[in-house]
Amino acid sequence: MMEQPHSCCKGAEMLLNLQPTSSVSIQYHPFFGPHDDLVLLELDEKLLSDVLYQRVTLRGQPDEDAVLCTKSKTYLVKFVGTSNSVFLIPPADYSTSHESGGENYNQQVPTASVIKVAPGNMELVEVAPRLDKLKSILSENLYSSDEASTAMGDLYKWDDLINKVQASDDELKAGLQALSAVEIDGYWRIVDEKYMDVILRMLLHNSVLNDWSLDSLVEDKVVSVLESDGFPRKLVYHCLNVYGSRVEEAMDGGVWRLDARRVCVHFARGILREGKRKMESFMEEWLRMIPEEIQPSFDLLEGEVLTEKLGVETWVRALSVSSLPTTPADRFSILFKERAKWEWKDLEPYIRDLNVPGLSSEALLLKYTRRSQPSIDAEPVFSAR
Amino acid sequence: MQIQVKCSCGAEKCPEWAIIELQGVVEVQPSFQHSLQNLQIGLLCRPSSQENYTFTVGYHELTGSKVALKKPMVVLKKIKYMDVATSSSSCVELDVVGVIRHKILFKTRPTALISGPQPTVKEKINAAGA
Repeated sequence: MMEQPHSCCKGAEMLLNLQPTSSVSIQYHPFFGPHDDLVLLELDEKLLSDVLYQRVTLRGQPDEDAVLCTKSKTYLVKFVGTSNSVFLIPPADYSTSHESGGENYNQQVPTASVIKVAPGNMELVEVAPRLDKLKSILSENLYSSDEASTAMGDLYKWDDLINKVQASDDELKAGLQALSAVEIDGYWRIVDEKYMDVILRMLLHNSVLNDWSLDSLVEDKVVSVLESDGFPRKLVYHCLNVYGSRVEEAMDGGVWRLDARRVCVHFARGILREGKRKMESFMEEWLRMIPEEIQPSFDLLEGEVLTEKLGVETWVRALSVSSLPTTPADRFSILFKERAKWEWKDLEPYIRDLNVPGLSSEALLLKYTRRSQPSIDAEPVFSAR
Repeated sequence: MQIQVKCSCGAEKCPEWAIIELQGVVEVQPSFQHSLQNLQIGLLCRPSSQENYTFTVGYHELTGSKVALKKPMVVLKKIKYMDVATSSSSCVELDVVGVIRHKILFKTRPTALISGPQPTVKEKINAAGA
């Protein structure tokens, strides 16, 4: 039986606890080698416990840059090389997958052995989650009224989304919420706008018929009536979620209030789907469609429509912030294609949601736009760099 | 694709590794290239109660100190294994095998020792530095 070496005389422990007037022999480890399977990762102290307690994963396809995800954040993993010699010294009892042997257990001289010379280390850069891909893959197969006959191509469960989208769990959930996606039979789906329109109109039609207040819709009543009209339960709930919010204060739960902005935006998008309209024509149709109980105002449409003066006429066309890319460079590029010059009050709703860790909105403007002011009392105007 | 980052030793028991870092490259005499294992690189000494260290490699002496890393590092080991369920693909896991919080850093140019045994390992100064 081999004599066990005193661990205090060897390895990293020896080195880190070297006493005054002592010395240690630095040697090549019996299993010294390139060990490409050993990598160093530098992290902030606050991430260390997430890593040690197995709360992080690496996500991405083989052709993408790897990202590291905690429960709520996403980090790009980058390699930083060094021209220094970085000798990596494991603890005394470290063994690789090789058979133990070749170690000189009879060494009395304190030694610390180098297993590898590290060419550099990985580091983490916090990034915004890559959610554009989520939207595009879920848009491949919109859930529509003739669902039974469609559903060709790929459908995605939560685990499939985790595998494909480089985002943390929390960010993925928020992304699904922002897309008004709904989980049907375990698959996450975006519902076709036209189908949502049919369900919403049916809800509003029944509200008038049954004298329901849009501020206090009783969930059970709404669901049972619409279900008997042929709509799947899941989609009725989804409709309430998309166009309304639960009334928390309700005693018996299950009471909803329709959201004015979301309903008004919905009808505006419907009108403008075929193209731009003159302001008078748009307003006339829009006001006609909006239920009586809801007070419409044009401000509700910020971030959803653009107005333009062409000659004497004012025209309205759809541009929804939700249709724009989430990365700042791409976002500004599209915005400046839509319109060369923007005043801040028009631009703000279209960049309000941009999320770049470490960059404020002023910094974003500085980085991606050119600010000019035609005259002292004119509004400043932003254009492409 | 999702790769789990594990810590099979357990978070509380994750051992501390060490780094010795120097500017330059350590060269091994050609006759020893293929039998590096257990070969001595040099002698590291801590002369006093301060965290100052000397590292003698061949006939060069370096002076440096133990410093705490501004940010800790973890040592990750990539583990590849065949997934029995989907026999076609190999799976990768990452295991945290160590934590590094300190390094012994040698930033200065080495001084040459006039006398000493013929080195099997010698330190070569890399003019470009870090």
